[in-house]
Amino acid sequence: MATDIKKLAEIVDTAAIEATAIPQLSQSHSFTLDEAYDIQAEMINRRLVRGEVRVGMKMGFTSRAKMIQMGVDDMIWGRLTDGGVISLRDYVHPRVEPEVAFLLKKPLTGPTTPMQAMAAVEAIAPALEIIDSRYEAFKFNVQDVVADNASSTGFVIGPWCPPDTDLDNLGGIMEFNGRPVQIGSTAAILGHPGRSLAAASRMTAEEGETLEVGWIVMAGGVTEASPLSAGISVRNSVEGLGSVGFKVVE
Amino acid sequence: MTSKDSIQEAAGRIRAGYETGTPCEPVRELLDDGDIDGAYDIQEAVTVWRLETGARLVGRKIGLTSVVVQTQLGVDQPDYGMLFDDMAVPDGEEIPLGRVLQPRVEAEVAYVLEDDLIDERPTTAQVMSAVAYASPAIEVVGSRIKDWNITILDTIADNASSGLYVLGNDKVPIEAFDGRMCGMVMENRGEPTAVGAGAACLGHPINAVRWLAEVMVARGRPLMAGDVVMSGALGPMVAVTPGEVYEARISGLGSVRAVFGA
Repeated sequence: MATDIKKLAEIVDTAAIEATAIPQLSQSHSFTLDEAYDIQAEMINRRLVRGEVRVGMKMGFTSRAKMIQMGVDDMIWGRLTDGGVISLRDYVHPRVEPEVAFLLKKPLTGPTTPMQAMAAVEAIAPALEIIDSRYEAFKFNVQDVVADNASSTGFVIGPWCPPDTDLDNLGGIMEFNGRPVQIGSTAAILGHPGRSLAAASRMTAEEGETLEVGWIVMAGGVTEASPLSAGISVRNSVEGLGSVGFKVVE
Repeated sequence: MTSKDSIQEAAGRIRAGYETGTPCEPVRELLDDGDIDGAYDIQEAVTVWRLETGARLVGRKIGLTSVVVQTQLGVDQPDYGMLFDDMAVPDGEEIPLGRVLQPRVEAEVAYVLEDDLIDERPTTAQVMSAVAYASPAIEVVGSRIKDWNITILDTIADNASSGLYVLGNDKVPIEAFDGRMCGMVMENRGEPTAVGAGAACLGHPINAVRWLAEVMVARGRPLMAGDVVMSGALGPMVAVTPGEVYEARISGLGSVRAVFGA
């Protein structure tokens, strides 16, 4: 039986709108990774129809440890749109992950080298990504998470910096209320975030998409994610790039 | 208080671990519960033996500088061990298999002192003024205790599980790098096996050195000009595979390699 892409996209989209956890799609339906990306694309279409605007894309599973944990040998990606107001009530069980973000000045499409990919970068910034799985207990397999737009939910970007900093080993500290909760380095992103950007170009092209001028690409986590709760003031500082933060309210 | 005989018996066990190259049983049952002073007495007894048999004291290492590791071991402070001249390995020189029992590696900031630190309560400013330079470093930790079956008492008695240390050949003034924010990556075959940053070591590695300077005065072995201080890990410890090379890079400090024989 053919996979009902539209129906599954509606299930995930509705879960996000209602901030309600759902069972993993893979428990009730069998679908391939390609079909998972089709579900994601259809779900994003529903958002665009509601008036949201596509502003970029995000990479996931960019650390070797995470790939091994998930039993996959490639990264995943999701699409960023501009919709949504940040409030705890809008999420199922949100987590926050310290990241670095790229702003593109040239389009990128298809297989490319990290050096070519970096040449398309206008600016880099410290960033925070809010991830929220629509699946119960944050549990999923790779098809589930791709269908759920790689758990992408929200993001906050800090000051844009010229891309002349060597990105391969910048320290990162994420603090909750001034106390460090995650400490790492941009080396956790495939050894260099530029590799993630090159992979973003390759992987989106496989789905027939181009990374456009002016888009933001979230390169992947500098550390693991930490769960959010009300009253926390979050800050991510990246060596040489400054810091970015937000406050969590009920 | 733990008896002198028990201290000597425990020290003998650890000495035998060094001499025979065979890990020994834990020593904690020879100590009273939670007797950290007694554990340091065991370490001191082994230190005296090392010095009497020709080793030269060249520095200290600080361990348990991560909040996560402190919580795992149920302690609220770091620990320290002695660095002897025969523990220093040049950058990239092959370390023969078996030189360290059950080796693991971790990347650290090493500080080299140019002044003595003999005040009872040294300030951070005094400690920074006493530092000549910093270098990237890899500590090869090892345990004389079988299967790393250690509590806080065992590791302190066993010289804070120190093995060898490799200093990189970069001499960096402390104002030339960001001790708190500096990124750390340790790679094996081009893959990051451990990542972290300066803040993982008590918020800033110099905080660990200040703690050490105070404790060493109290213990009667103050830090002296020329001493090397391995200030504590900036990321997770990695178990060593024979034949492998581990390269640590610390942002602003340079790089250093620990090479293991097969």
